[in-house]
This record gives sequence, C-alpha cells and structure tokens, in this order.
Amino acid sequence: MNKEIFVELRNVRKVFGEVVALHDVNFSVRKGEIRGLLGENGAGKSTLMNILYGLYRPDKGQIFIEGKEVKIRSPFDSIKLGIGMVHQVSTLVPEFTAVENIMLGTPEDKLTLPLKKESKRIKKMAEDLGFEFPLNVKVRELPAGVKQKIEIVRALYRGAKLLILDEPTTSLVEAEFQQLLKSLKMLVKKGVTVIFITHKIREVMDACDSVTVLRRGKVQGTLEREKMSKESLVKLMFMEKEIKVNESALPKVELPEIEKSKEPVCVVKNIEVEASEKTPGLKNVSFEVYGGEIFGVASVSGNGEKELAEAMIKPSILKSGDIIINGESVNGLPTLKVFSKGVFYTPEDRIKEGILPDGSIKENVLLGHHAEERFLKRNVFIDWEEVKKVSERVVKDYNVFTPNVEIAIRKLSGGNIQKVIIGRAFVNPIDFLVTHNPTSGLDISTVEFIFEKLVEIRSKGGAILWINEDLDELMILSDRIGVIHKGELKGIFNRDEFDKYKIGLLMIGG
Amino acid sequence: MAEKKDKKVLGPFLRNISVYLIAILLAFAVFSVLVALMGFDIFRALRTLTTTSFKSAFGFQETIKKTIPLIFTTYAFTIPFMIKFFNIGGWGQMLMGGTVATVVGLSLAPLNLPAVVLVPLLLISGILAGGLFALIAGYLKAKYDINPIISTIMLNFVAALFVNFIATAPRFKDPLEGHPITIPLPKSATLPFIGGIPSSIIFAILAIIFVYILIKKTRLGYEITAVGYNLFAAQTYGINFAKTIMVTFLIGGSLAGLGGALEIMTIHGKLIEGFAKTSGAQYGIFGILTSLIVAGDPIGVPIAAFLMSVLLVGADALQRTMQIPVELVFLSQALIVLFIVVIRKKFSVRR
Repeated sequence: MNKEIFVELRNVRKVFGEVVALHDVNFSVRKGEIRGLLGENGAGKSTLMNILYGLYRPDKGQIFIEGKEVKIRSPFDSIKLGIGMVHQVSTLVPEFTAVENIMLGTPEDKLTLPLKKESKRIKKMAEDLGFEFPLNVKVRELPAGVKQKIEIVRALYRGAKLLILDEPTTSLVEAEFQQLLKSLKMLVKKGVTVIFITHKIREVMDACDSVTVLRRGKVQGTLEREKMSKESLVKLMFMEKEIKVNESALPKVELPEIEKSKEPVCVVKNIEVEASEKTPGLKNVSFEVYGGEIFGVASVSGNGEKELAEAMIKPSILKSGDIIINGESVNGLPTLKVFSKGVFYTPEDRIKEGILPDGSIKENVLLGHHAEERFLKRNVFIDWEEVKKVSERVVKDYNVFTPNVEIAIRKLSGGNIQKVIIGRAFVNPIDFLVTHNPTSGLDISTVEFIFEKLVEIRSKGGAILWINEDLDELMILSDRIGVIHKGELKGIFNRDEFDKYKIGLLMIGG
Repeated sequence: MAEKKDKKVLGPFLRNISVYLIAILLAFAVFSVLVALMGFDIFRALRTLTTTSFKSAFGFQETIKKTIPLIFTTYAFTIPFMIKFFNIGGWGQMLMGGTVATVVGLSLAPLNLPAVVLVPLLLISGILAGGLFALIAGYLKAKYDINPIISTIMLNFVAALFVNFIATAPRFKDPLEGHPITIPLPKSATLPFIGGIPSSIIFAILAIIFVYILIKKTRLGYEITAVGYNLFAAQTYGINFAKTIMVTFLIGGSLAGLGGALEIMTIHGKLIEGFAKTSGAQYGIFGILTSLIVAGDPIGVPIAAFLMSVLLVGADALQRTMQIPVELVFLSQALIVLFIVVIRKKFSVRR
C-alpha cells in the first residue's frame, strides 16, 4: 500500500460558543486508502470534516495537502484542491437532471453548458464505478441511494482526489451499501482517497482500511485493519483511553439512595409510532417510570428517541398503545391537557423548539403555562404581574445571569437559556419530567447545575424520563437505562448492571 | 461593561428613529429630483405635500377621513402578519363589510328601527362579513395549506364583483344613477360628522384599544405573539397553529369589515361601486404599505396610518394646486417603505 500522506490536519481546534467541539486534533490520511472516521453523535466527526471541506473555519491549526500547507476558506477552495464531500442530506437541485446537477457551476468561463458532449463523459465515469443512473431524469424523482451516486460522480467530475462521505449509509438499504462498498474499492484502485464518516462499527469493519475514532472532540486512536475488532472499537468509542476523572469533563454529582414510589408515575404500554423516511418510528415500546426515579434512555440519534419524547407530550402521534400518567390514560390528549396532569417537557433543540428568541424571559417562562388558572384573569387575560413574579423566581433559583426578566432571551448565553427552559419546567410542582438532551453543548458547571436540579426533583419524589445522547452522563445519574435502537427498546439495565460496553453495543444494534 | 449597557438601551431607539428619518429623506430626495425634472418648484411641492393637512381645518378633516379606514385595513394586514402570513385581502374584506352592512340597512329600512338598534346591527354585520370572508383564506391555509396570498387576492375579485352585484340589484339600485350605486341608507342607519370629523373615529379609537389589549393582555394575543416568535416552540408547548391562523385572519378581516361598514355609514350613506378608495387607489394596498412601515407591529399602526394619510392629502393637494400627478407621491410612499425595509435589514444583519 502507498504510504504517502495525502492530507494532514494538525492541532485543529474548533470552539462553538462555550463548547470545545475539537480539542487540538491531529488527523492524517494516506493516499488511496479508505479511512473510517468513527464516533458517537457530537464526537466531532462532521465538524472536523466540515473544516477540511471549508464549511467551518478552525480556530487554530493547519491543513496540509501532499505536504504543502493550504488555506481553505470555503468549499470553493477545497474543491480546487481536489477535495469532494458527499453530505448526509442530498445537496442536489431537485428540479435538475443528473447531468445538469453534475455540471452545475463547473465551466466557469463559458456561457453555455456543453451538456451533450459532457453527458457521454459523465456516463463513462459512472460506468467505471459500476454506477447506473438515468442521466436525464429530474433527480427529484430518484431514490436517495441514486442521488448519492450522482453526488459521488459530481465530486469526481470536479476532480476530487479525496472523497469525504458523511454518514453515507443513512438512507441506504443493505444491498445498496454493498454496492457502494464495491464502488469505493474501485475508486481507491484509481488512486482516490476516501474518508468514511460513520457511527456504525460494522460498516467500518466492512469498508475501511483503517479507522480513526473520535470521542468528545479528541482522537481516541487510529487502528489499522488487522487490529480492528468490535471490542476494540466499542471501547474506543464509548470509553476513555485511561480513566482519568479530571480530564473526562464529566460533572461529579452523587445520586442519593431514596425510596421509589410503589406505583409507577408513568406507564408506557406497547406504543407504536409510524416509521418514515427520517425515522424508524417506535415499535412496541413498553416501560414504567416510578416516582423518585431517573429513567435514562440511551440511543444513537435518529433511532426513534425523538419520537418517544414527542409521544410523551403529544400522545396524538401514537399509532397504537397507551401512555398512562398517574393511573389515567392520556391517549389522544393535546399537549396542554397532558401538562395539566403534572407533566412537563424540555425539548432537544433548545433554540428551535425551546424558546421564543425575541420574546422576553417573562414571555418565555409563560410558554406552556399560558392556559393555567394561576396565570389568567377571568380566563382571558394574562396576569403579567404573576408571570413577572414567577419569572424573577426562576431567574433567582436557577442562577440565570440577566439584568432583568424583560430582556429578550436570545441575548442570553446557551447555558442561561437552558436554565430558563429547565426553570420553566418546575414553575409548578410536577410529577413527571420528560427531558431530551438537557445538557448538550453546555459547559461543565452548567451541566453540573442541571444534574443537581434533576437529582433535587428525584429526591422530592418526581419521575424523570431522561433521553440523552451522552452515555457517560446517563450512567452517572440514571437509576435505570433503557436502550433504543431502530425504534425498539432493546433492553433495560439497572444501576448495578451498568456496563458501558454492553450498553454501547446495544445502542449500535450489536 | 456599564458603557456597553448604555449603548444597548439607547441603541434600538436611536436606530429605529434613524431608519425612518433616513428612509424618508432618501424618498423625498428622489421625489424632489423627479419634481425638478418635470419642471416644478421643489420647495413648494415639498411644503404642499407635508403641510396641507395642518394648514386648514379642511385639510385636517380630510386627513382624519383617510386615517380611519386606513387604520382598519392596516390591522387587517398586520394581525395575520404577526404570524408571518400575508393578508392581501384587506380591501376585499372591507368591501364585504360595507356591502353586507348596506344590504342589512336597506332591507331593514321599512321597519323604521331607531338608530340605537340599527347602527349596532349594521356594524356587527360588517364585522361578521369581513371576518368570515377572511376566515375563508385562514381556513384554506390551516386545512389545505393554501397560500393566503393567492386566496386573498382571488377573494378580492369576488368581493369587488359582489359590490357590483348588490349595487346593480333591482331591489337596491338607485334608478336615477348611471353608475352602480344603491339608494341611500335610512338616516337612522348612518353616523354623523361632528365638527367636520366623522364620528366613526370613535370606533377607530375603540379598535386601537381593542387591538392593544388583545395583543398585550390576553392569552389569545400571547399565543399569536408566541407563534410569530417561533412556531416550533409554540407548537411544542401546546399552542394550536391551525387555530391561530384562523383566529388572526378572523380578527384582521373583522376589523377591515368594520372599517367598510363605517365607511358606508359615515362617508357615503349608500353603497357605491369603487368605494374604499382614496386618490384613486384602494385602501388595502395603503394598509399593506403602512403595516410594512411599522414592520407588522400593531402598536405603531395608528401613528403610521395618520402619517400615511398626511401624504395622501398632500398628494391630492399637489394634483389640485400644482398639477403634479398623485402617482409621483405614491411612488415616493413606495420608496419610503422600500428604503425602510432595506435600511432595517442592513442594520439587523450583522451577526
């Protein structure tokens, strides 16, 4: 095998707001290999590759191509340097044909597109890779697997010597994956280098000559093909290289021993949610959450955990099954009615689903409580005095850093926004909190604060359903952990059975 | 830090004011150039345009007469615009309100009802007609995801033809008129002028208070505001989007309908084909312009509507006294809006 390095990233660092997405990462790929880039969601895989492709700019670090340092300011630069990227979601123009898409933006100096002439060349390129797709059909009408082939050919047509594939198998069926593999091998024979981003160990084992594992923005290790095994990869993906608590960036919060309630606060019985292109939905999921318990849900994102969270507060999306809160079925109830049973929710995407960015802190605290008697006068008017009082208490109790409650919430930092969202959930005493990734992207002291609040609710006898992308966090603070994969509940672990390896394996369907 | 804070407090206010000032100055500059090119006296033209409303009682009365319907059509656009939908049908809703109120008034005329009964009845029928007519567009959006721009534009044609239908119906038509006009409403169905000012101003003020309370003080207003701020969060926390769409169109249309009924009951006293127009253009369009000036904020509507009317009265005066075509003023009004929108974007896009 050719040992020459094609691309090298040196000490690349990227910080988003308060969060370090990449800690001084070193990463290099040899010419003509298929390199896996493996890691959980949020490990930094896509960030690293988006830097190489010019979509993000690193805060620090250098990039070398064939030994020469280069500056990549935009995809325009990276394409010129021979880097092509196929994104997870199609970037083709739906109303254009394959040929039109592939040629889009290429002959910069001409007024007309030599479509006829070039379509022969494109056809040849595709055939060489074993691809077959209609050249003159609008891509809108083509399935996802075909669109991906078109994107690969487009990258090559633009002269890519390095092809980055971001989670290329998301929308492929098994046969398509095998076909893609064959084509990649052919590409490599022609001297093209491939970086294959994935969170699936099996794919790495099937496809890659070597693999680099990222975790929390750090390279955990690079393995050659002969050293790759399921065990070694799971370990790298989910565990620290050495257990050093100080460096692990995890808060230390104790989970005190307390009595669980006798009756479950929430019973989920055989619920089903319709699958779609984007999600496997939920299949026959059942579990209970007791008072005084934190029930963690672990999954790789996109396995139905989003639908689980949604179903809890919007039971109307259920196809079948029951959700019972405090002994009463909430099936078919609108969200506010569910809330009135002592339930509250903090959503996954705090900016998109959690807040009214231009609204004041006051207006944001009211959201979800706006139909409650305590905030209404004569059922029609909002008692803004009361809202203000409650908001000021939230700001005080949750250490929200703000001059007053009239300020637009978008002016606060991510951590302070999340504190308002969490504080809003506890405006009233509640029995059941559904919370989805409450700590994602927050600095460690805020994470610790939120952990303490969750423990506080648990100590008061509240039940918590905690859907979280970070397994380490779940293991610190859950009484039990349920694992969801492809919409199915694969298993429930008690606290004394927590085993990172076993849970990690179930999360990826192993 | 303290210095920074001060800037933040002062910033938005100064910035907003300067946006308007710069936009108006730029628009007037373009206007002046055009006036000069056409060979008119720039200073006289500007003076006429801006001061006619305040130089005589008549000018001021005219301004108020235009402000009232303009407030209603501006709300008709503004309230659905709070949740980012365009109600282009304010004009049609105003026509429906005026027409249905006329039909009710003329049909009840033989009963000789007193004003205390007849006036509220006509106003309510105007409100209902405008509201329900707008609700068609809201319903089509909520249930079938049909773009309200399209449905409201189409419904404007329906409304205009409905006016014609009623104004030429043998039962209502004034046989002495060549133009489609109905016979006059009974006196007890009309509202008087008080000191040259139409008494419909009372209802305009009530509408302003109503909208203010609705938006700032009620749960419904909060829900509309929340959807406008962030639809996804509002839905996540239990606000019903479909209901909010329909409610905003219903309220917007009701206000336009009320405006239409008032226009008939105070200004015309009968249904005239082509009412709800000023300086030859319809109030719906000016309502949209006015709403865009205040960026869809319902609280700024009355002032903006008044200033818009000052320019409209000035435009009429220009035409009368200097033979400068009103279109030139429309042009500068449009430019004011364009400049405001552009300057505001320039100020805000700075991440």
